[in-house]
Amino acid sequence: MADLSLNAPLNRQSRRQLIGTMAFYIVATIIAVLFLLPMIWSVANSFKPPAEALANPLALFSKAFSLDNYRRLEGVGAGWYVYVGNSLMIAAGTVLLTVLIAVPAGYGFSKFRFPGQIVLFVLIMATMMIPFQSILTPLFLILKALRLQNSLVGLVLIYTTFQLPFSIFMMRNAFDAVPKALIEAARIDGASQWTILRRIMIPIAFPGVATVALFAFLNSWNEFLAALIFLSDQNKFTLPIMLVNVSSGIYGIIDWGALQAGVTVTMIPCLILFLLLQRYYVRGMTAGAVK
Amino acid sequence: MAQLSLRKVIKAYQEHQVVRGIDLEVADKEFVVLVGPSGCGKSTTLRMIAGLEHISGGQIAIDERVVNDLGPGERDIAMVFQNYALYPHMSVAENIAFCLQQKKMPKEQIAQRIATAAQTLHISDLLERRPGQLSGGQRQRVAMGRAIVRNPKVFLFDEPLSNLDAKLRVQMRTEIKRLHQALPTTTVYVTHDQIEAMTMADRVVVMNKGRIEQVGPPQELYHRPVSLFVAGFIGSPAMNLLPARVAFGADAISLVLADGTALALPPAMRSPALTEGRQVIVGIRPETISQPVGRQNAAPILVNVDIVEPLGVETLLYFNIGEIVVCARVIPEAAPPSRQQMALSIDMEKIHIFDPQTEQAIRPDVRF
Repeated sequence: MADLSLNAPLNRQSRRQLIGTMAFYIVATIIAVLFLLPMIWSVANSFKPPAEALANPLALFSKAFSLDNYRRLEGVGAGWYVYVGNSLMIAAGTVLLTVLIAVPAGYGFSKFRFPGQIVLFVLIMATMMIPFQSILTPLFLILKALRLQNSLVGLVLIYTTFQLPFSIFMMRNAFDAVPKALIEAARIDGASQWTILRRIMIPIAFPGVATVALFAFLNSWNEFLAALIFLSDQNKFTLPIMLVNVSSGIYGIIDWGALQAGVTVTMIPCLILFLLLQRYYVRGMTAGAVK
Repeated sequence: MAQLSLRKVIKAYQEHQVVRGIDLEVADKEFVVLVGPSGCGKSTTLRMIAGLEHISGGQIAIDERVVNDLGPGERDIAMVFQNYALYPHMSVAENIAFCLQQKKMPKEQIAQRIATAAQTLHISDLLERRPGQLSGGQRQRVAMGRAIVRNPKVFLFDEPLSNLDAKLRVQMRTEIKRLHQALPTTTVYVTHDQIEAMTMADRVVVMNKGRIEQVGPPQELYHRPVSLFVAGFIGSPAMNLLPARVAFGADAISLVLADGTALALPPAMRSPALTEGRQVIVGIRPETISQPVGRQNAAPILVNVDIVEPLGVETLLYFNIGEIVVCARVIPEAAPPSRQQMALSIDMEKIHIFDPQTEQAIRPDVRF
């Protein structure tokens, strides 16, 4: 009897807990499905025979399995692998250049005091508010003067420029979250500025670096307008431009199968990178939010 | 062997001087504690010695080598920070090794040094852990390990115990003292806690408003404070400071307190500076007020005890003289159980007299 009377409220409590957990999992699953569905849908369509993909693009499952859509991608322009290569080069270049500039710049803004610091920082941040379309013409003229139009390097420079304000802001916040005493301790330990940045600051602020790299990669990988305008040679096109070329098939009919195959190819690197960096990314976004 | 010299050291931010021309000689192997209220310039002074703050004026020398323009890494010093400043992404061993790696020391030698330091500080079993996995006391030890592993000329401590709880603080206090005895190194230790200063220091430097008020061994500071500030700062409970007037009687000089109580001044305490009618401040340590036991030169007072605080080994009594709350420290057996009127006496040979204007001590041997 005593056992029963003791267990009754316990049972009620654990049941309530169980219901709570179940509700959490159900809601989480629904949200996860909502987010995953577009990706699954793309992948599913890409493996349908082209005719079925065109006839019934909404169906998730198909009776037949086909790689025809991927074969079709090879026939687009110079072949999908050329565009993947171009996009990878541009993204890698943008990531590298952005990180190389934003990390020291963020460090400088965070841990050093110099005249005009605030004005300079606000100026850099203000460039985020310039609409990209409004400076297309001057950009085109500048690239032409530098003989960088229709060049991947030119595009890397443009992407990096537009990536920098956010990246510098992000890195400054990341370095702000690192206590100054650590730098002082390292200085007393006899470390040079370079060693401090390399061995103390960057490892601690790595979530910030990962976030900056991820954004630089995704933005340059997905960018369409600048690539469309500044690249004229078919061999230098990037994946988003290829996707447009794929989708506009004969008589303006959208080739759904090939498009989804292109989308699948395009999103794989993004997914891999995101999964690799996500734990840093989450920490990076919250760094400096709470001190 | 390392001697530390500060000569007319100044730190100024624009017009505002936070350290106003400090002179201090720290002997080899000496343990000196800088103590004072927050904002007195003690931490700034320490940071100037470390090279973390630029020196606005004067000279700092370690072993007669002026270090004003040397970076912190070139001064051969080690510092323990208030928040330990351990590198969070490195293991304890890597934290300790970092400074040795900067000196390009061979790996075997580094490993050996780490092992020795870890043994000294009892952290050998923590070497693989990250700072985040350590308790406050353990982190403190690692921070000290990082400092001792390099055999610096000067050790600097910046309020290293202020983040620990009271019990651990007492424990680490004795441990730092033991460490200093085992590895005698010139040490400058900053704290705002006068008990820490008194218990650890060979010499205490009391700072106030960017200046040094007094330098001396703890006992000297306690028994012979040169100023009102030192008198009030050193000692817990603090010295009672009461305004009084000098009164000349037929054959005696007495100090008349605000409530009219006259305290007869023994001949040994008299000074030519104590002229008739002069306003002074009398400093009375709580333990110099006790039960009247017929001592010589004891001035009797009658007080209304307000609060009784039994601490076990002693009991604190609080009562008013004029507007001022006065504390007395008596043996528990003689303490009243609660509020009541009580006869006490002040040992007049142990009182201190200060000038209210200059705030300096008026000593029997000092002639104005």
